[in-house]
Amino acid sequence: MQNDIQQVLKEANQVILGKERQIRLALCCLLARGHLLIEDIPGVGKTTLAHTLAKLLGMNYQRIQFTSDILPADIIGASVFDGKNHEFKFHPGPIFNQMVLADEINRSTPKAQSALLEAMEEHQVTVEGVTYQLPEPFFVIATQNPSHQIGTFPLPESQLDRFLMRIELGYPDPQYERQLLTGINRHSLISTLSTQLTPEQLQNLQQAVTDVHVSSALLDYCQAIINFTRESPEYHCGLSPRAGLALLTAAKAWTFMDNRDAVIPEDLQAVLAAVAGHRLRSGNNDSEAIVAPILAKVAVH
Amino acid sequence: MATNPAHNKEILIFLLSSIGLIVLPHVYHLHWGVFGYFCFLLAWRFVGIWKPERLPTFPVILLLIVSGMAILYVQHRGFLGRDGGTSLFVIALGLKLMEIKTERDLYLINYLAFIVAASQFLYEQSILMAAYILFVTCVLLAVLVYINSYVAQTSVALKKAAVIIAQAVPMAIVVFILFPRVEAPRWLLFNDDHQAKMGLSDSMEPGSITDLGMSDELVFRVKFAGAIPPAKQRYWRGPVLTQTNGKKWTQASDLSYQKYLDKLTYMGTPYQYTLLMEPQEKNWVFALDMPADYPKPLERNANYQLLTSDNLDKRSEFKLVSYPTYNTGYLTKTEFKDARHLPGEPSENIKQLVAQLHGFDSPPDVFINQLLNHFREEDFHYTLTPPLMEENPIETFLFETRYGFCSHYASAFVYLMRVANIPARVVTGYQGGEWNAVGNFLEIKQADAHAWAEVWLDKQGWVRFDPTAAIAPERIEKNIDIARLVPGGLISYAAPSAGAQATFDFLKKARQLWSNVDYNWQRWVINYNNTNQASFLSSFGIADFKTMVYWMMGIVGIITAILSLFLLYRRPKPTDPVLIVYNRFLKKIAKAGLTKKPGEGARDFAERIKSKLLSQAATIEQITDAFIDQRYGRNPTGRGLIELNRLIILLKL
Repeated sequence: MQNDIQQVLKEANQVILGKERQIRLALCCLLARGHLLIEDIPGVGKTTLAHTLAKLLGMNYQRIQFTSDILPADIIGASVFDGKNHEFKFHPGPIFNQMVLADEINRSTPKAQSALLEAMEEHQVTVEGVTYQLPEPFFVIATQNPSHQIGTFPLPESQLDRFLMRIELGYPDPQYERQLLTGINRHSLISTLSTQLTPEQLQNLQQAVTDVHVSSALLDYCQAIINFTRESPEYHCGLSPRAGLALLTAAKAWTFMDNRDAVIPEDLQAVLAAVAGHRLRSGNNDSEAIVAPILAKVAVH
Repeated sequence: MATNPAHNKEILIFLLSSIGLIVLPHVYHLHWGVFGYFCFLLAWRFVGIWKPERLPTFPVILLLIVSGMAILYVQHRGFLGRDGGTSLFVIALGLKLMEIKTERDLYLINYLAFIVAASQFLYEQSILMAAYILFVTCVLLAVLVYINSYVAQTSVALKKAAVIIAQAVPMAIVVFILFPRVEAPRWLLFNDDHQAKMGLSDSMEPGSITDLGMSDELVFRVKFAGAIPPAKQRYWRGPVLTQTNGKKWTQASDLSYQKYLDKLTYMGTPYQYTLLMEPQEKNWVFALDMPADYPKPLERNANYQLLTSDNLDKRSEFKLVSYPTYNTGYLTKTEFKDARHLPGEPSENIKQLVAQLHGFDSPPDVFINQLLNHFREEDFHYTLTPPLMEENPIETFLFETRYGFCSHYASAFVYLMRVANIPARVVTGYQGGEWNAVGNFLEIKQADAHAWAEVWLDKQGWVRFDPTAAIAPERIEKNIDIARLVPGGLISYAAPSAGAQATFDFLKKARQLWSNVDYNWQRWVINYNNTNQASFLSSFGIADFKTMVYWMMGIVGIITAILSLFLLYRRPKPTDPVLIVYNRFLKKIAKAGLTKKPGEGARDFAERIKSKLLSQAATIEQITDAFIDQRYGRNPTGRGLIELNRLIILLKL
């Protein structure tokens, strides 16, 4: 199983150059059954990353381009009158896919954004009183433009909390950028990728992640981190219990990817920026900077 | 902080309530105008919390300032002196409440409130007031904590403030003991108007001591260095009243005969004691009859009463020696004249009574005994509520009403002596006192005020006779007990039941305990002035000012150092044995100059130090793996711990 994971990482790294850590986090998020938010300026490879992962994991992939006039029905689908049978028939929207890329999610209005909420949390959608199950595994990768850009509706905290992780891709290093500029088209590269992990295998892996051991010493550290965010004057409001659970789940997946069976503090630290950064929001968008005081001040024993 | 704390309702409510608490005790000290003015402003500000539009505009504030100044000027003619200064601060505090605009204003008000809190001590220095001020200080600190906390909670803020105060206590004690004390010059207090204190007066009309008879107010306390005089000898001498117009008794106007007085001879065992006087209006010091040794600036006047040249408006302490028996020797001419003075020709009734008791035809001691017997055997009553005797009070008392208290008896006794040509005078003061078993001292209250007689006898000098004792011997043996002292039942008290008696005893004990605490507070805290400080410190070898300052700075420095070290190195001790063992590893590595950062995990640390300690890289790796296994792993085992320990012992750097 571990080999498959390593294979996925290796293939992905060949498409998206110099972003090993981000790719690893994205896969970690997937293994932890969480949704991923990628925040960055357009053109750094957000869509490519989502597309690559979908391809490598053999999942049904659908991209939804969010715009300011998109409606919930455009996302989850709508009932249309069928003239032949004289009845309304539900036409599933693009959300009915295993991997959904919600591109530029913060360009849409809050109404459209919230259409994703139930889907992400419950893995189901309800239309006109009828509840439809979404396919499993279900994974949303959303991208958003930095909020200072024109025409954005910032995601509310409740919506942000639905994403297990938020990562930034950032500009590539010069050497990789060179390769990118001289190499072949990324999209044609993606089409050459083959499935490394079937959805069933992925579900097995997700199950295995939940079995990773968490010792009480680690829980102490985890709680110390949570308490620190609640008491320290650096944060406006601390991490919620849900955020604590998310932190632990992500750390388990990280441990699992490292082929170990017990979480150590370093695993928590590795995922902390991605998991806690968007939940703490201390007026700064740089996740690493936001969690830096935690890493420096909360003692590991 | 995002919002302006000066507009935060909770902060304002908290601050204003604490300010109300601080100014509250001043209701007893300040003029009602000043206090009312402050309350008005405070109430206005309270309304302003919910209705900010009702707060005064600038012209109105100006008007308020002018009216505040007017009140200050009318009451105190300025702001000098204790009362004026305190009023100024209270008015300023009230006015400042009207313009809370920024966070800075909150701090300013808080500091002003601290000053007002301290000003309470200018009026009252009791232990209760100190406790109250301490509480109020705690509330004020809590307001500061509250303003500066992100998640403001009143109870948490109060707790934190209490902790801060508790931490400051050792410092406060050191500074209290060692800080050089300066006596405030008296002129600083020139504007004080004294609160009239009740007490004995320098004249007596039978009936003038009625009020004192029931007052439980403390006059002085006495702590004996050795033996304690029996109850019968506990007469505390006050003014001696010689002159009378038949109704009113006053002190002799001319005491210049002092230089002709005979030499006093003392007999019996002396009593050494410390007298702790409560604040008095007069400069009388009530010494045990007869004071022999008294420190400066005390003086003994011609009537053997102790006077001090200082004011007694503060509690003061005197070390005295008295002899229970003495002989004043011969009588001076003035004394002889004064002590036989009669306001007019005595009536036939009086003459007849004196003759009947052999006043004219036998030696004085026989007549005295006859008279005391007369009081004892005839139907004389002791009461604190005698009938009014406006005309010829002595005659009315002796022949008609026969109800009276000490003043009636003493004045009648002295008058009859004088009719029989025997020199006599009235002495006022206190008698008895209640023994405080907890603190081992005697408490004398206003209720113990008394009047007795002194008769000059040949070869014995002035001799004390207590005619009241003739009718109520119980009064001498015990403290005032109205139910017994009123045989006529004019004041009747139900006999206490057994249960009530137990409660009463308990209350009595509790009161004595409290009185003892208060005594020691006075003795050691309030009276710790520059002389007491000097004598206390010299017992530790701290003689001069310079050494005192060095000591103070030294001790304060040591306490600061201990506290800072404690705060710096306060870390919870690990309880996990794995962690204890691993910490040994960290110690070893630390010797090589490499320390683990607090937020660094074991693996990260290992990676960091491996490059520096290449020779031991493998062992470090093993140790780290073993530690992680034991601490975070699924199945920590005792054997794994032993292995970890072994690896760490083997590690050589």
